[in-house]
Amino acid sequence: MIRKYWTAYAISLQETLQRRSSLLMDRVGGVAIIVSLYYFWKALLGTKPSFLGYSGEQMLSYVLVMNILRSFVFTGRGWQLVGEISSGRISSYLVRPISYHGYTLALDLAQKTVHLAAAFLEVGVLIAAIGARVYLPHSLSTWLLFSVSVAVSSLLFFFMEFMVSSLAFWTSESGGPLFCFELGLQFAAGTFFPLDVLPHSLQKALAMTPFPYMVFFPINIYLERMAPAEAVKILGIQAVWLAFFVWAATAVWKLGLSNYSAEGG
Amino acid sequence: MIRRYWRIWIQMAQMSLQAQLAYPLGSFGFLIGKLMRLFFFFAFVIAIFRHTDTMAGYSLLDMAVFFLTFNLVDMTAQIFFRGIYGARRAVSDGDFDFYLIQPCSPLFRMAFTTVDFLDVATILPVLLMIGIVFARLPAGLGLGRYALYTLLTFNGIGIAMAIHIFVAGLAVRTQELENTIWIYRDIMFMGKFPVDIYGGAARWVLTLVIPIAVMVTFPAKALLGILSPAWTVYALALCAVFLAASLGFWLDSVKRYTSSSS
Repeated sequence: MIRKYWTAYAISLQETLQRRSSLLMDRVGGVAIIVSLYYFWKALLGTKPSFLGYSGEQMLSYVLVMNILRSFVFTGRGWQLVGEISSGRISSYLVRPISYHGYTLALDLAQKTVHLAAAFLEVGVLIAAIGARVYLPHSLSTWLLFSVSVAVSSLLFFFMEFMVSSLAFWTSESGGPLFCFELGLQFAAGTFFPLDVLPHSLQKALAMTPFPYMVFFPINIYLERMAPAEAVKILGIQAVWLAFFVWAATAVWKLGLSNYSAEGG
Repeated sequence: MIRRYWRIWIQMAQMSLQAQLAYPLGSFGFLIGKLMRLFFFFAFVIAIFRHTDTMAGYSLLDMAVFFLTFNLVDMTAQIFFRGIYGARRAVSDGDFDFYLIQPCSPLFRMAFTTVDFLDVATILPVLLMIGIVFARLPAGLGLGRYALYTLLTFNGIGIAMAIHIFVAGLAVRTQELENTIWIYRDIMFMGKFPVDIYGGAARWVLTLVIPIAVMVTFPAKALLGILSPAWTVYALALCAVFLAASLGFWLDSVKRYTSSSS
């Protein structure tokens, strides 16, 4: 049962590695952002020992860990799904004895594997090149909580993006909403700046959405800026959001399929 | 001749507008996304300055000048040279063969084949914000500084044009490198902040090799009165060299072109 998804994963891994120019392009973009933000925060910190409660080491680690999370959490298959629904290519998957969600998840994991490895390499090179000091969690439980939190974030993004991309069942113009969703999500998740810079009222409002649970809170778990009990609470909230979006994405998918029709071969 | 090219541009712009209006939901989504990116980033910078007075010696107003100048140069290039993003496809699909036999410069035809009206709509708030920020700058900056700012902004757009011509030349020469323009776009991200914040090597690369500093930081510095005359001359000379080299590269690429499609 699991073997066919494993095969899809292996083929997709080869395919991702074969399209080296696309991979390079994605990574150059990531490196430009990480270098910009690293120096931005470095300049902001100046000679101050801390900023917004982050020590210099923690703040710069936020940027570096954020690059790794961007690579693992925010690589998705949304645009491919939009293309496959709009062009009708999805029909060929629907008649195969596989779950489309499972198949897409396997492809997504392959992409994440490559991007995660590249992100580690970039961060390693950057640390070596500029002599950055990185904050490493002291406790083993922090590593465990952080790992689980990142895995849940990644699944959360997968199902959220899947849900938004499924709009393609109703309109061939779903690329616009998807673009809008991805941009808004990245800002609201704390991908460019820690959300602590925002006024408290805005932080509270954002905490009621799933977005900060995808990057901001996982990094705060990593930086040990919250007690273990609080980190467990964050994991609980993540799990609730994940359950909601699994349900919502599946419901939208089923509705979309009932609405879908394809002509020709 | 200018009149003819103006008419051709208007024609292509009308076609681009019609194409974008044919997909209202998609275009609206992209427009909202672009506006969101602009306002969110600006809002975050303002939010950061609630916690500090200066950054690398620059005040919030200075940072706003840098950020808005970046957007002005970047979006203007997006509006006018959007066609380059489809250069490789134009070559591989064979459209470029048609461009060559039309009574119009193939470079002009390729670069201006698409006019991004979503960026036209996005640049309006940027211009408005520039007006607001300029009004808050200390009085008595003098017309000379504003004139130099305008000159160097156009100079930055000229360098952006040269980079786009290089990319178009690469597409004609190799029928590949679709991603080159996106690498440029990604590196441009570094121009959102003044290049002074970067470390020594990165700063020199951004000034001498991939001259994003010259394109977006120099105009802002000129306005703030912290750009030396020597760097001003360097910026103007660099633009001239880049434009001449890119046009030479383009002409050579076209000369070697042997048609890659049917």
